[in-house]
Amino acid sequence: MSRQLRRRCADAARRVLAAWQRFREFGFHSEREARGLALLKSWLSPEQLAQYRQYRHFDVTGCHSGKRYRIRYGVSMNVCELDSLGRPLVGRCFVPKDNLVAGDVMLAQKIALETNERGVLLVAKTFSPRWRTIHTEV
Amino acid sequence: MATQIIMDYSGDSRHEFNPADAAALLEAEQRFNALMREGYTAAVRSPTGDPTVIRKFDPKAEETLFVPRFVGG
Repeated sequence: MSRQLRRRCADAARRVLAAWQRFREFGFHSEREARGLALLKSWLSPEQLAQYRQYRHFDVTGCHSGKRYRIRYGVSMNVCELDSLGRPLVGRCFVPKDNLVAGDVMLAQKIALETNERGVLLVAKTFSPRWRTIHTEV
Repeated sequence: MATQIIMDYSGDSRHEFNPADAAALLEAEQRFNALMREGYTAAVRSPTGDPTVIRKFDPKAEETLFVPRFVGG
């Protein structure tokens, strides 16, 4: 392979990598998704916001049991009860009945667990969490 | 100005009103009651920032968020 071709390949790889990093940093959201995320961020506590910015998930404490739950970016099967070591124990699937964007769904789940944990767990379905490397996913 | 935020397909719909305006306040209360009848949950933020669910219209709330009813996924 000629030196010129290698240099062009390296330049292209750098551009792709830079684009991927921009995508990871800022995300690629439609206007409605961006509105939902802005609303979510305005309601998160400073600790939850920092956690979300780093991992795209945040933890909440159930108002009745004191259990910890992790809410991951998504619109379904994105809530997991954590054990005392912060590992996923059981998935809890509950979603608003309307078709909402991810930010709205996550905010609704946070409010439900922090204000009406028992009520929302009554309607939630359980699932086996298969989240891989849950602390570092972005 | 106070704001009522309703989660919906577009992200959210916002209704701003002046709490000092009696007509606007009445309209906001009617909207609140209608959404409650539809099964929405209304939440406001406490001074510490924690969400608090309210069941009656709070004319002093600066921001009220309406969340649709939950179903099992």
